[in-house]
Amino acid sequence: MGHEISRRSIFRAASGITVATALGTTLSACGGGTGAGSSNSKLTMTWWGSDQRHAAYKKALATFQQDNPKIKIQETYQGYDGYFDKFNTNVAGGSAPDLMQMDTGLVAQYARKGVLAPIDEYVGKDLDLTGFSKTLLASGTVDGKLYGVPSGIGVNQLTVNRSGLEALGLKLPEREWNWNDLKAIAQEVYKKSGGKTYGVDDGGGSTLQCFEIFAREKGQQFFSDDGKKLGFTPDTLQEWWEFWAEMRKTNASPPAAITSAAHNDLTKNAVVIGKALFTFDSGVYGAGGSITDAQLDFLPTPQGNWSGAREGNFVNGGVLLSATKTSKRIADSVKIISFFAQNDTAIKDMQLLRGIPPTEKARNLIAAGLNATDKLNMASADYISQRVAKATNVLPNPVPPPQGADQIWDLLFQSNLAVAFGKATITSQSGKFFDQAAGILSA
Amino acid sequence: MTTAKTDEVVKESPAATPSDQRERDRQRRRLARKRGGGWWPYLFLAPWFVGLFGLTIYPMLDSLYLSFTDFDLLTPEKWVGTANYERMFTDDPVFWDSVHATLLYVVVSVPLKLGLALAVAMLLNRDIKGIGLYRAAFYLPSLLGGAVAIAIVWRQVFGGDGLFNDFLSWFGIKGQDWISSPDTALYTLILLAVWQFGTPMVIFLAGLKQLPKDVYEAAEIDGASPVTRFFKITLPLLTPIVFFNVVLQIIDAFKTFTPAFVISNGSGGPLNSTMLYSLYLYKKGFTDLQMGYASALAWVLFLVIAGFTAVNFIASRYWVHYDD
Repeated sequence: MGHEISRRSIFRAASGITVATALGTTLSACGGGTGAGSSNSKLTMTWWGSDQRHAAYKKALATFQQDNPKIKIQETYQGYDGYFDKFNTNVAGGSAPDLMQMDTGLVAQYARKGVLAPIDEYVGKDLDLTGFSKTLLASGTVDGKLYGVPSGIGVNQLTVNRSGLEALGLKLPEREWNWNDLKAIAQEVYKKSGGKTYGVDDGGGSTLQCFEIFAREKGQQFFSDDGKKLGFTPDTLQEWWEFWAEMRKTNASPPAAITSAAHNDLTKNAVVIGKALFTFDSGVYGAGGSITDAQLDFLPTPQGNWSGAREGNFVNGGVLLSATKTSKRIADSVKIISFFAQNDTAIKDMQLLRGIPPTEKARNLIAAGLNATDKLNMASADYISQRVAKATNVLPNPVPPPQGADQIWDLLFQSNLAVAFGKATITSQSGKFFDQAAGILSA
Repeated sequence: MTTAKTDEVVKESPAATPSDQRERDRQRRRLARKRGGGWWPYLFLAPWFVGLFGLTIYPMLDSLYLSFTDFDLLTPEKWVGTANYERMFTDDPVFWDSVHATLLYVVVSVPLKLGLALAVAMLLNRDIKGIGLYRAAFYLPSLLGGAVAIAIVWRQVFGGDGLFNDFLSWFGIKGQDWISSPDTALYTLILLAVWQFGTPMVIFLAGLKQLPKDVYEAAEIDGASPVTRFFKITLPLLTPIVFFNVVLQIIDAFKTFTPAFVISNGSGGPLNSTMLYSLYLYKKGFTDLQMGYASALAWVLFLVIAGFTAVNFIASRYWVHYDD
């Protein structure tokens, strides 16, 4: 489908609109930003994020335009909800943006479908990747080609309400802690708070942040290397769910209704509403800063406490910047990607809004301007990435998630919920999970 | 008709000079235009035709074609025959979850909504001071109905720490999180639908205004109680209106999307309990990149709605009374 908008693709986009209007719905693409659609003179760039991230992007892009007055940029931005729905529709309608923020979880899917442009040929020329580690670049590399440049280091950490913990007379656990330690302190929180606060939000359905790490500690991956199967065994899943069933039973974790309410809604997160002191959801202190008044701190995901347990934590690439294959402006897009990777002003503008900066140089540049919580966040991420780098028994980074991965993550969440609501037993639900996941991956 | 007369006069006019001839031609052309000939009416209709063919008929046919393909929006579609339809009925548990949720939603919400609409319409069909204000107040929720904002408000009202539980606590009842429990989430959606009874209410009100007063007067003289009058006069005379509302509300209920999408954060959860059919269709097409499968889902929905409507029309012969 060349860069021109074919008649068929216009009708295709219209089909989508008709489906939407026929349903009698208001599927308006919400969120701010200027109108979509490509024009010949402007390079279209799109991203998702919080208001703070929008402002930072715009500020940085203004600097870029001063230095490159010939490259005019049309900015489109919104929240994460619906971002990829809209992108899919745009691609189908032949109006994909030239440059986009990409999700590390989805990059393989879009690269393999020929939506993204490989940009290896620009490396060392227009694309300066000095200081980027190979592991980090792996998060944007699919089948040996580079499809996106990571904006920052992403690690999985627990966010802890430190002030709440201290108010109960409890101390922040050590970074070298294991799942039993987590259980012990979570139960302690419930006791000390007189039953007002549970310990940690229910991680039984939480994929990237914890189950994947648990599986890696057992030497298993979430997906098999070819991405066509699950990479873990039913035993592992059942053991995991039994751990969380025990957590709920002892009030170390909140009941199902609280977990369910927080699905896709950060404002209902157990830590944010004051019902727990530990959470696996990185969004509580993420790209938009903090959404709770509590003083926060950060801890690595617990380690396996059985013999032969491996290092389960890993480092990925935050979000990526990718150029699309149908774009006529790939070279210009690459210049912008390079600008965000290396330019001092851009790095300072973005701060931690797209993750911990990927290079040593960038981290040093922003270190001075960080607030106390940002510093704790960065220190913990540094600790994890150093530990992972030193570990001898760590599995290679997870393969890029295959198509359908997000459906499987959702299935894991809903399955854990079915167990927590008492609608299914662990064994029967695990069977259903494996059946349905196999169906999704073979579709 | 004057135009016809003038035409005859022109035709029969004797002694035609060349200039007369030209004048006559001009007049004839003008008359032809007046009678509706010429191309320009089509110009004004063109936007409608473009809309009908470009945005309705073509996409519908295209989606029918796509329903027999594997199409992910991003790469060209592949013909798979009836595989999508087979998968739906034999190999997709979520499809059945969504069918279950949707049927429950339709079967519970439509009668409740229409009952309430008729009851309120009867209350509002009186001559009391400020009746206009009351009517507006009762209609208001329907105007706001499809809005995302209302669905968001609903989430807050029926959440664990929401207004509804505050209300229950006055009576010493400890509520739960209605939205995030799989046993109650769908009923909050049904309640939202019932609350938006304004449109059928207005139609009922219009119907009630048409009912002949003399019949009621006669019944009153004969000593018929209000209940008898309702069941023996109002309801039978109103059946065409009831029928109209039943058909429209069933179709509407089948297509409900926005509240389910907003209240479940697009997930259809908890445990697919709010996975209304349209929401599932949307998720498959736009989120899971299975537009072929979504098209098949859409056509099944279309056929189901058509089926329900047909059954409604057939059944109507036995209970709808037209005035003749």
